[in-house]
Order: sequence, then structure tokens, then C-alpha cells
Amino acid sequence: MSTIVYYTASLKNELIKLKRTFAFWLTIISAILFPILFFIAYIFEHKTLVPAAGVNPWGKFMVTQIENSTPFFIPMFIVLVTSLIMQIEHKSLGIKHLFALPVPKSSIYFGKLSIVILAIIVTYIYYYIAILLSGVLLGFVYPDLGFLNFQPEHFQYLKILMTSFVASLGIIGIQFWLSFRFKNFVIPLGFGMFLAIIGIIVSQAPQQSIYFPYSFSVLSVSLGDKMPLIFGISSVTIFSILCFLITSIFGYFNIKKLNIK
Amino acid sequence: MNELVVETKNLNFSYSKNKNDIQDLELKVPKGSIYGFLGPNGSGKSTSIRLILGLLKKNSGTVALFGELFNEQSRLNVLNKVGALIENPSLYEHLNAIDNLKISANYRQNISSNRIQEVLETVNLTKAKNKKIKEYSLGMKQRLGLAISLLSNPELIILDEPTNGLDPKGIIEMRTLIKDLNKKFGTTIFISSHLLSEIEKTCTHVGIIRNGKMLYQDTVASLKDSKGTNIKVEIEVDNPNEGVSVLKNLKMENISLLDDLLQIEVKNKNEITDVIDVLRTEGIHIYQVTIKNNLEELFLSLTEN
Repeated sequence: MSTIVYYTASLKNELIKLKRTFAFWLTIISAILFPILFFIAYIFEHKTLVPAAGVNPWGKFMVTQIENSTPFFIPMFIVLVTSLIMQIEHKSLGIKHLFALPVPKSSIYFGKLSIVILAIIVTYIYYYIAILLSGVLLGFVYPDLGFLNFQPEHFQYLKILMTSFVASLGIIGIQFWLSFRFKNFVIPLGFGMFLAIIGIIVSQAPQQSIYFPYSFSVLSVSLGDKMPLIFGISSVTIFSILCFLITSIFGYFNIKKLNIK
Repeated sequence: MNELVVETKNLNFSYSKNKNDIQDLELKVPKGSIYGFLGPNGSGKSTSIRLILGLLKKNSGTVALFGELFNEQSRLNVLNKVGALIENPSLYEHLNAIDNLKISANYRQNISSNRIQEVLETVNLTKAKNKKIKEYSLGMKQRLGLAISLLSNPELIILDEPTNGLDPKGIIEMRTLIKDLNKKFGTTIFISSHLLSEIEKTCTHVGIIRNGKMLYQDTVASLKDSKGTNIKVEIEVDNPNEGVSVLKNLKMENISLLDDLLQIEVKNKNEITDVIDVLRTEGIHIYQVTIKNNLEELFLSLTEN
């Protein structure tokens, strides 16, 4: 049977396993958390936030929101959601069963990794929809905020989100391997949360932290035009993708050789 | 020549450097047999099973399944013919039985939804198929684990302590099921257990392991023959002390009292009648005569030093 068949079977199964789990709900809760906070802030402060005539309110609303929440929150979200998705397997003692099935170990490892990435992308999509809806809703509640009179410039905002997602790939590779490797979720969770906080702190010194994967998410937004480029591409983007590829491949070979007790 | 479904040669494995957990293990499981893998807790039964299935990396030796060496290349082909239940069953507690079976069926491919209903029927869980596993009892989980291992109609089923946590009725059902599978489909079944009585009632072949070493391996019938010719008999009487002195006059061997029960050894079953006659002529009342299963003692003597 071909690799593709094994891989799709693995994906299908991972989706069944996510049914009714907290990991599934976490994607929704995380996505609507900040839009709700911003919605409330706009409700209370709407008088000071009325834009000058002819100014598109969406720009300020979207960009401040995305830039002030996503970069700090996403690394912690990744640490948490990756641990939770792997815990479904560890809690059910599933790995010994999976590795005794006539299925390549690669389809299991990369199938699960794909689902983790999918869960994160879905969260981004929910998040984007939630901000748009909260903006429209504000437009109805306070028409003078002008949300109904202008069109949001989707391309600009989606580009920021896309950059933030790619900058997070590096830690997805690391966290996924840790969560797969260690049954005890305290290890990937504690390690990841600690480094995520360190990442935010050291991002104040961009020249050094540009090599530290847990800072990439913040740097991808905070550096703006000052981002060093490699072959015309943001260096954080390149480092993040490299980190993802290396840790995923290393992680797979490590797991493949592991004694399953 | 009898074909071997599982064969290990010089199998060695250790979890840590200073201890050998499995030493030169030579398992031979003939095709069509029910093989009982017997040993006290911590003797290396589960470790051996994990080595057979490639979950642990052996230090040295070989594992062959269906006459094919188990390695990276043959792994998928070999595992395709195996169904395994390793220690506690791997079940997703937040899902129901159908979903749990569906997951294994998807991984294995080519398994129809009819087959899912069929195995549920086999393990008697049809009524509970839509219940979440969280609400299952230990015995039900064990049965669902067995159902999962049956899904692909495997040629070899490996069951690690399958009767753990089952009530007496469940144990009998499991025993019948195992025998049926073996009889109807010729499935080779490899069962590990620390209970001799279990193995004795179900299995055709037995391997006894202690501290990672195989102590004995043969058919259950020859194990029974090897236990010596004497039959041990236990007799419950109204006056055990008098009974002992009466029997001592008979010059019989190995007469003793254990918990007020007479213990004697006789050479054949006819001698049991003689013993009863002697006791009765002395006016001693007999309430119970039992032939003791000395396989149990053999097992203990094999596994205790």
C-alpha cells in the first residue's frame, strides 16, 4: 500500500480522536478570546475611538489587535495544544498499539504532526473570522465607529497572520517531538512555557534572539522593516522553517528508534 | 515437521546496562497451537512480547514470525497477520466502542463496517457499542481490546494477560472464545499469564519463564507427564490425628497433615480406594477426597529457585 494511503488513514483517525476533546475546544476558545477583549474595550472606549472623517477604522482595529496579541499568545498556545493532542495518545496507552500495527511509523508521526499544524491553522482562521465579526458587530452597536462604511483590507492583515504562523513553525517541530517523546506532559508543557516566556523577554535584544526559535513569533511582528533579510526573505521566516524541518526529521528518527515500554 | 509461527533465537534484551532482562530466550510457538507463556510477575513476559512485536530493540538474537525474520523490511508484512493485545488495552476513553474499532480498522485498511459489528458480537459488546469507554468496566475494556485484535482475522493473536480484571464468568467466556478461534479458524494463539490454572485449561503448549530465562518449553501434556508418577490426594475426615496414625500403620509414603486435612501420595488411583477402606474400617468418617493438582507445585518449584 502506498505511503499516501497510510498517511490519509492516519489523518482520518487523528480527526476521530479529536472528537469531544479539550484540545478541540481550546482552538475555539483561544480564537475568540482576544476578539472578545477588544470588543469590550471598544464598547467602553468607543467615544475616543471614533475615527477621523474618511479614515478606514478597520486598519487600526485589526492591526493593533493582531500585533498586540498574536505574537505573545501563539507560542504558549502551540505549547499547550501540542501537549494536549499528544496526551490523547499517551492517556490511552496508544503508542504501543499503534506501533504494533502494520502501519509505517512515519505515517503515524507525520499524520499527527499534520493534525497539530491543522489545528493551529484552523485557530488562525477562527481568530480572523472572530475579529471580523466583532468589528461588524461594533459597527451595528455604534455606527459612528464606521465599521459598516468601509471594507477591511484583508490582504494586509492576512499577510501579518501568515508571517506569524510561519514564524511559529520552528517551535511546532520542537514541541511536537517533546510531546511525542515524553509521556509525562509536564515535561513538554513546562519546558515550552518557560522558553516561550524567555522568548518574549529576550526578543528585546533582536540581534541575539534572532537565532532563538521561541522569539521568532514576537520578532516577526516587532522587527517590521528592520528584519534582516536572507536572499530577500525575512531571516526569521527562513530560520523558523529550517528549525521545523530539522526538528521534525530528527524527531521522527528519534521516535522510530525508541523503545516503547 | 511442525511449522513455527513464532521463533526466537538467542534473544537478549536489557532495559539497563547492569541487568539482563531477557537472556537467550528461545521461543518456539507451533502453528495452530494455543501457547501459554507462563511466569511470575516481572519475569519478562511482557518484555518478550514487546520484543516479538518490535516495540523494543533487542540487544542480540533474532525474532522470526511465520518463518520470516522480523526486521524493517518485513515489519508491515508480518504485522499484517498479527493481532495483539498488550497489557492494558489501548483505548480512547472519550470515544465509544465503534469509534475505537473504526480507528484500528482505518489503520489496517480493507476492514468493512460489518466486520466491526461482527467482532463486537463475538466479544458480547453489541449492546454497549455506543457507550463511551470511560463508562466501561475493566472487563469490558479487556473484551474490546480483544475485539480490536480480532478485527483483521489475524493468523496469530498475541494476548498479554487477557483475563486480567475479568470476573469468573468473563474468564470462562474468554477461555471459550480463545478455544473457538483456535478450532474454527486454526488461529495460533499466544497467551501470557501468571496463572497456571488458566494456561492448563486453555493451552496446548506451554513455556515457563523466570528472570528472563526459559525454564521449560513443551506441550502441556508432557508437562503433566513430567510431574512424576505419584498422585497426591487430600482427604477431609472427622478425626485427622487418628487418620494419620491409621495410615502410618499402612506404611504409606509422605503422610502429613495440612490445615487438618490428610495429605498422602499414592502410586495409582486404585490405591485411593484402599486408603478409603482402611479409614472406614477404623470408623473414621470421610467427608471429601480430592486429587491435588501438582502442576501448581511443579510450577512453584520451577519458578522458585
